[in-house]
Amino acid sequence: MRDAILRYCLLSALVLLGACSQYYYDLGTPLSAAQLPMVDEQRQLGGVLAELGPPLRVSSTASGYVLAWEHWDITETKLGISLGFAGAEALSIDWGTARARGEFLLLGFNHDHEMTSATFTEWDNDAGGGKSLQPLGGLIPVVDVDDLLTAMPQHRWGAASLEELPVSLNSDNRPDTGQNGIEQRGTPTAVGQRSLEMD
Amino acid sequence: MSFAKIISTLLFIGLLSGCAQYDNKRGVDVVWQPEVVNGLVKGESTRKDVLMLLGPPSQVIALEDESVLYYLFEHSKGEGLILIVYNTFKVDTSYDRAIFFFDENDVLTDMATRIQGQTGA
Repeated sequence: MRDAILRYCLLSALVLLGACSQYYYDLGTPLSAAQLPMVDEQRQLGGVLAELGPPLRVSSTASGYVLAWEHWDITETKLGISLGFAGAEALSIDWGTARARGEFLLLGFNHDHEMTSATFTEWDNDAGGGKSLQPLGGLIPVVDVDDLLTAMPQHRWGAASLEELPVSLNSDNRPDTGQNGIEQRGTPTAVGQRSLEMD
Repeated sequence: MSFAKIISTLLFIGLLSGCAQYDNKRGVDVVWQPEVVNGLVKGESTRKDVLMLLGPPSQVIALEDESVLYYLFEHSKGEGLILIVYNTFKVDTSYDRAIFFFDENDVLTDMATRIQGQTGA
């Protein structure tokens, strides 16, 4: 009887030492290349909006407007072994990977609401990952997709002056105000219009 | 294996497993249903009419003499299964939105609306 209990506890502990977690994020409605309007068809803004619905990203430009529609499908997988269950936060072995699939449709219009440019792209990329052996517990995540999951910039409109000082001072250049162009999710901030934000 | 052991094992596994539900809503109230915006007419309705109907927008975009009102409601729904050894979580995010373009006289020139599960204007 004692051996059986021991085996039972050992099996339970082994099971609890390791774990796999998968996260799936689906942002927006899927797009296809077939939805890309032809520029030479002289499409009007009203017709495009009726076909595609309101865009997710909008910005004015010197020559008119740019409108963008996007869809993201992100998968995050983590596999870890830890002694935390045994009360010994002493060792953590982790492996993680992330994959990002998506589509992005970008259309440009002039002041007369005539379409002047159109482009479509889709991707299925490795979005990063890592491995770790951390003697003091799992302190550092091996995979991070938080920058791809941020809320739409429209929610933050009007709050640009309430950000940290370097960000507020750069509000005239930020691509999330609707006045200075647009950017895709996950765009690095170290270069380009956000470089002055010193993130 | 005895019946008691099977029951205790199932109880043990049951105690360790779980489920989770997640719901996150951001943005303005969705008040741009077709029956509401059908009264707006391009070339006639004004920015004041839209603001009276829908209230303050999520974003205002200005370009020279034109302007845009943008309304957005972001809804994320997540469901998770926690089995300790294997955990899975799925989050679906949808965007209900409406956009209105106005000319230099604040007259509506173009518009579009979209509500998840409905056909937009």
